[in-house]
Amino acid sequence: MRRREFAVLAGPSILVMVGLLVLPLVRTIEWSFQKVDYGSPGSFVGLDNYQEAFSDPRFGKAVIFTVILTLIVTAVLLVAGYVLAVLVNGLHRAKPYVLGLLLVPYVIPQIVGATMFSWLFNPNYGGVLSYLIEKLTGAHILWMSETWPNRVVVSLDVIWAMLPFAMLIIVAGLQGVSDEMIEAARIDGASTLRLHLSVIVPSIRGVLGFVALISIMDVVRTFDALVPLSPQAVQIGNESIMLYIYNVAFQNGGQNLGLGSAIDVLLILLIVVLLLPFIRGVAKETRAG
Amino acid sequence: MSTLTGATESAGEAVPLADDVLQPRPRRRRAGGEGAAGRRFMVGGLLLLVCWAMLSPVLWTAMVVTKPTSIAFINPPQFTYHPSLDAFVNLWQTTDFYSYLSNTVVVAVVSTLFALLLGVPAAYALSRFPSWISVVLLVAALVFRALPRFAVVLPMYDISRSLGIYDTKIAVVAALVAINQPFSIWLLRNFFAEIPQQLDEAAMLDGCSRVQVLWRVMVPLMGPGILTAGIFMFLFAFQEYLTALILTDVHSPTVPVFIATQLGQTLPLLQQAGAASMLLTLPVIAFAFIAQRYLVAGLSAGSVKG
Repeated sequence: MRRREFAVLAGPSILVMVGLLVLPLVRTIEWSFQKVDYGSPGSFVGLDNYQEAFSDPRFGKAVIFTVILTLIVTAVLLVAGYVLAVLVNGLHRAKPYVLGLLLVPYVIPQIVGATMFSWLFNPNYGGVLSYLIEKLTGAHILWMSETWPNRVVVSLDVIWAMLPFAMLIIVAGLQGVSDEMIEAARIDGASTLRLHLSVIVPSIRGVLGFVALISIMDVVRTFDALVPLSPQAVQIGNESIMLYIYNVAFQNGGQNLGLGSAIDVLLILLIVVLLLPFIRGVAKETRAG
Repeated sequence: MSTLTGATESAGEAVPLADDVLQPRPRRRRAGGEGAAGRRFMVGGLLLLVCWAMLSPVLWTAMVVTKPTSIAFINPPQFTYHPSLDAFVNLWQTTDFYSYLSNTVVVAVVSTLFALLLGVPAAYALSRFPSWISVVLLVAALVFRALPRFAVVLPMYDISRSLGIYDTKIAVVAALVAINQPFSIWLLRNFFAEIPQQLDEAAMLDGCSRVQVLWRVMVPLMGPGILTAGIFMFLFAFQEYLTALILTDVHSPTVPVFIATQLGQTLPLLQQAGAASMLLTLPVIAFAFIAQRYLVAGLSAGSVKG
C-alpha cells in the first residue's frame, strides 16, 4: 500500500484521535504541573501536585485497593471463565439460549447493574441476600459500611459484570481447538484434567492472555461499580484510583484539577507498566506481519 | 489473540469467512451409556444454577419495582405482594425518562456509525501497511484503550465549555467516537489481517482502486467482523456512564446518568430508578440473545485466535 493511500484511509481516524484523545491528554499532563481552576489558565507549580499525591495516605490506599481488586478479579475471571466456557461449549441445542442468558449481566450498563447488585446486599433497601445470610448464619454483616464485607460485594459485582465477556471470548477461542488434537490426547489415555491443562489451555493461551489484558485494563479503572455499592468508600478505604480522581478533581468542594491530573498521569504510568508484556507482543507481531 | 502475544497461528487451519462463519460446526457424536447421561444431567444442573445466580440481581430488581412503593424496600424483604406498576407510571409522568432514553439510543447509534465509518478504513490501512507507523499506531491504540477516562474527559469538559457544546449530544457523541476508536481499529485490524492480501492484488489488477477494494471486496467479506465490532461499540456507548456524567448536565443526560442521580434520593425515586433500569434492561436482554450468535462467530473467526 502506498503512503498516500494509507493517509487517505487512516487519516480521518488519526485526526479524530489526535484531536480528541491526544490533545486532551496533553492538557491533562500540563494540568498536572499546574494549580488550576476550571475555565481559567493555571499557574505552574512544578512537581507540587505529584508531591501532594504521594503524601496523601488516601492515594496509597486507593492504589492498593485497586491493584488487589484487579488481581483477584482477573484470576477469578480466567478460572471461572474457562470452566464456564468449557461447560457451555459442551452444550448442543441449549447453547445459544444459555449464552444469551449468561450475557445479560454484560450488556447491562455497569452502573445500573451495580445498583441492582446493591439491592441484594443493602439492608436499608431490603437486601434479600443480606437478609438470608443473616437468617442462615446468624451473623450480622455490614455489607455496605464495613471494609472487608464491602470489598467482597464490590469484587462479586465486578466479577458478575465481566464474567460473561471472559466466557464469551474463551468460548470463541475454543472453536479453534482442533478435535483431532483432543481425540489424540484421549487415545493416549489423558485424564480430563490432564486434557484441559496440557492440551486445551496451552492451545488457547493467546485467548486467555487477551482476557487477562481486558480484565486488567477495565478493573484498574473501576469507578461505576463503586458509586452505588460503596457510598462510604472514602471513609472505609474502598476508594479506587478513579474514584479518588473524581473526588479530588470534580466533586463539589474538592475541585483540585491539578492534583487529579497528576494522579491521572500516575495511573497511566501504572497501566503502561502492567501492559508492557502485551505491548511488546503487538510490536513484535506487527513488525513481522 | 495472536496479535497480542505473538503466538503463531496453528498451521493448516482454514480461514472461515463470511457465511461459512455462521454455519454450525459438525457435531461430535455424543458418547452413549448411563454415565454420560448422568454427567450431562449434572452439567445441566450446574449451568442452570449459574444462570440463576447471574440473573438474580435482575430478577430481584424486577420484583422490587413491581411492588407497591410502601413495601418495595422494607427490611425484612417481602416475597409475596400484589404486583403494581405504580413505579413505571410515576417514572413516565414525573420525569423526562423518554428524553433520557432517546438521548441514550441516539448517542449510542450515532457514535457507533461514526466509529465504524472512521475505523473500518483505518483498520484496513493498518493491516496492509507493515511499517513502523502501524506499530506505533497499534501500540498507541492499545494504550489509549486502557487510558483512564478522566485523563481525556476532564479536558474535554473544559474544551466543550469553551466551544459552547457542553451539555449537548454532539459533545457526548464526539467523545465516545474518539474513545471508541482505538479498540475498534484494533479489533477490525485483526479481522482484515485474516483476509489474504492476494485478494487485494487480484482486485487491483482488475482495475480497482484501494478505496474500491475496500468497499467492494473487503467490506462484504468482513460482514461478521464489522457486525462484531459494531456490537461492541454500541454496547460501549450505550453503557458509558462517566463520559456522559461529565459532559452533560440538564439537557442531554443519558439513562445511566439519570439512574445514578436518583440513587441518594427518597425511596419512591429509588424505585423509579429501578423501573428505569428494567426498561433499559429488557431491550438489551433481547439484544444479548440476538448478538451472542454473531459475537461467537465473529470473535472465533478473527480477533481472538490463540
